[in-house]
Amino acid sequence: MAELIINGQMKLSNIIDKDKRALVLFPRFGIDLGIGDKTVAGLCMQKDIDLQFFLLMVNTFLNPDYFPDKQLKSVDADMLIGYLVESHNFYLEERIPYLQSLIEKFKKSVDHPATAQLEKFFDQYIVEVKDHLAYEDETAFPYMAMISAYKKRSDVPAGQIDYSVGVFEERHDNIQEKLSDLKNLLVKYFPPVNDRYIRIRLLNELIDFEEDLINHARIEDKVLIPVVKQLEQQVKSG
Amino acid sequence: MGKTILIAEQSEIIRKGLIKVINSFDMFDNVSELACNANIEASVIKLEPDILVINPLMIGTSLKGWLKEQINGRMKVAAIVYTLFDDEIKEVFDEIIQINDTRLRIKTKLTSLINSKDESKKPAPDDTLSSREKDVVRLLAKGLSNKEISEQLYISPHTVITHRKNITRKLNIKSVAGLIVYAIINEIVLVDDLHNQ
Repeated sequence: MAELIINGQMKLSNIIDKDKRALVLFPRFGIDLGIGDKTVAGLCMQKDIDLQFFLLMVNTFLNPDYFPDKQLKSVDADMLIGYLVESHNFYLEERIPYLQSLIEKFKKSVDHPATAQLEKFFDQYIVEVKDHLAYEDETAFPYMAMISAYKKRSDVPAGQIDYSVGVFEERHDNIQEKLSDLKNLLVKYFPPVNDRYIRIRLLNELIDFEEDLINHARIEDKVLIPVVKQLEQQVKSG
Repeated sequence: MGKTILIAEQSEIIRKGLIKVINSFDMFDNVSELACNANIEASVIKLEPDILVINPLMIGTSLKGWLKEQINGRMKVAAIVYTLFDDEIKEVFDEIIQINDTRLRIKTKLTSLINSKDESKKPAPDDTLSSREKDVVRLLAKGLSNKEISEQLYISPHTVITHRKNITRKLNIKSVAGLIVYAIINEIVLVDDLHNQ
């Protein structure tokens, strides 16, 4: 698929026509659909969204090879954290409950001893995902916001800091791996079930979630970590 | 084209029961039976069955040689098993039907035998686990560590790791939790045997 680099002059509706994965990004910026023929730049202006930041997020999300080297210096850490927190909320409030409801339906449509184990597997996975997100929301992001505040307004952090983005980088593990296991089990190994469409719906959602998480992790690895490292260095060198 | 299956089993209960189950699948036009081993060779020549299901107890020394010649032939041979056998028996047969297999399981086994008939000359597909790899999956599912598995199977921990790598590569399942689901689906382990953490 030819990579589509989004620019400010494009209509938002055309972006969705070209790549439906962009749909999940709009709520993260507080954009509701019903956007008419507005361009990206026009809508960002109206909604008071930083255009360059919006483009950076959309393009990094949609293109695995998009590497925003030059723009990194100008990325605002607070905006980035705000965006990531919104993504987490979307996973917790929307994606995960929906997946759970599909697993529940799948379980009801199959009389097979492996279904209970499949559900257990999924439940354990959800606990891991929630732990992963909670760690970022409660430990990593607050630290990053603090560094950013120190840089911007010389807000002196309260108390001793024994954390750095290096710690975050080290323990930033991959949470989509088990999703891929689940997908393989359903595609390759699970025997036929009574309701074949529930399996397809479930797979569709698993594949979307997996891709969303991969793209999300890429933004954290390629944008967030370098941006905060840069901040740390600036703070250290005074 | 109509398919033929021949059941060689002494016990009338088992034989008739298996035939009833097989008939319900609507897979075979001809389901024949034998209650003793005297006529097996002649019946196979006459019927040219696609699948022979035979109780290993009926295979004497003379039949053993004959049976070996049948392997890789056009007919698939499955064992019907309800007593304990040495693991080696698995090497002799194309499939093992257990007395406690579910209907669905029996159907799956027979279907894959029919489907594999035409490609019997091809090497085994890459994603099937060897019996040793299945042992490793079974013990993993029961909650054993690599070290415990190596002790139980009398192999080095290094070999366990190699098996695990190959299992992951073949199945494309990386987590132990995922392997447990796989093991249950494929009846490598029973739900009751799972270690409840």
